[in-house]
Amino acid sequence: MFGAVVRGVEDEELIRWVAEGDDRALSELYDRYSRPVYATGIRVLGDASLAEEVVQDTFMSVWRAAGSFDPGRARFSTWLYRITRNRAVDLDRRRQVRPLSAGDEPLRNVSGGPEPEGGVDGWDVARALSRIPDVHREVLTLSYFEGLSQREISRRTGVPLGTIKSRTTAALKRLHRSLVNPAAEEYRRD
Amino acid sequence: MTEDRFEELLGPFLLGDLSVEEERELERHLEGCSGCRGELARARQTHGLLRELAAGGPPPELKDRVLARARGEIPARSRVGWRRWVPAAALLVIAVLGAGLLWAIIGDASEGIPLTATVAASHGGGEVSGEVDRGNLQIELVVWDLPELRKDEYYELWYAKEDGGRISCGTFRAQPGGQTTVNLTAPVGATSYPKIEVTREPDDGDPGSSGEKVLVGDLRSL
Repeated sequence: MFGAVVRGVEDEELIRWVAEGDDRALSELYDRYSRPVYATGIRVLGDASLAEEVVQDTFMSVWRAAGSFDPGRARFSTWLYRITRNRAVDLDRRRQVRPLSAGDEPLRNVSGGPEPEGGVDGWDVARALSRIPDVHREVLTLSYFEGLSQREISRRTGVPLGTIKSRTTAALKRLHRSLVNPAAEEYRRD
Repeated sequence: MTEDRFEELLGPFLLGDLSVEEERELERHLEGCSGCRGELARARQTHGLLRELAAGGPPPELKDRVLARARGEIPARSRVGWRRWVPAAALLVIAVLGAGLLWAIIGDASEGIPLTATVAASHGGGEVSGEVDRGNLQIELVVWDLPELRKDEYYELWYAKEDGGRISCGTFRAQPGGQTTVNLTAPVGATSYPKIEVTREPDDGDPGSSGEKVLVGDLRSL
């Protein structure tokens, strides 16, 4: 029940709930933005373990500083990006000051993430996803982030398979419009 | 092919979730419809971005660790703040502060005194709570995400007045990137100083404050 309530809420409202101590609102924001936060960590640090640390530190900063977020000054995603960037840069500086000594476990290294296409990166996609209608975000989340088939989504949600298929197409179109022209694409609830 | 039928097939096609017959049906239609080919191209762009986002996430177990850590920290607004004053000391404080300010502190005490970060502390924060014990003010200070100190620096908690007068409550070093709790002591007269400040001080042997403020609070804002 609460999950459905949280999914339909805008980021700026969720952060207000976080400031009141609501960890389920934090959980929803984590679901929406942990991927671009992690991807930023990878891009800045080139290391999966450190990128995980960036994710952890960033969302703990969100938890502690939620009361200081001012929606009149910036969108939540912009505020979160700044925190992420600061944490990643701090970690980068710290590891340069304290290099690994002999015998330390080597960090897991991964190559940097792919370059964003045409100026659109994970932050833009995550932000656009948070602004499309709940029913569209739900099918995209279940398909792409939970790996469910169309039939599995239909069973999970109780929505007829044909509707799920059409809704998936509609969701992709809606997300595309939101990415291309975010200012014109107002958030609406279906 | 009707428009409804195309809508039903396009999304699942990109997800690889069509039967062989359905794929052939869609591909035959696309061969003769440039408009739908354009729609497919746009949807494919978005599909690619979503796949990229989905592929680049942190390990699933990290979420549990983050939430467990958050639940283990009481958020600022729900912390219990000023404790009940020892009655004898309360009379002294009333005389010093005036009844109005004292009531603002303890009359409806459900929160600590929040400390706001200055530009020197980026996303840091803190909270102060305390009680009078045997003629001294026992303070619990919680700070988080303060900048990392150099070896020749420390943080110091002050009670301050508008005219610059200050009383030091003690010094501490904070854990970088985490939360630090320190217990400090100040004379009970410190409560006549309405502002609370945390400064970053050089370890130069000078007991006076010469460093920049990183956190500030105001008892009068309660």
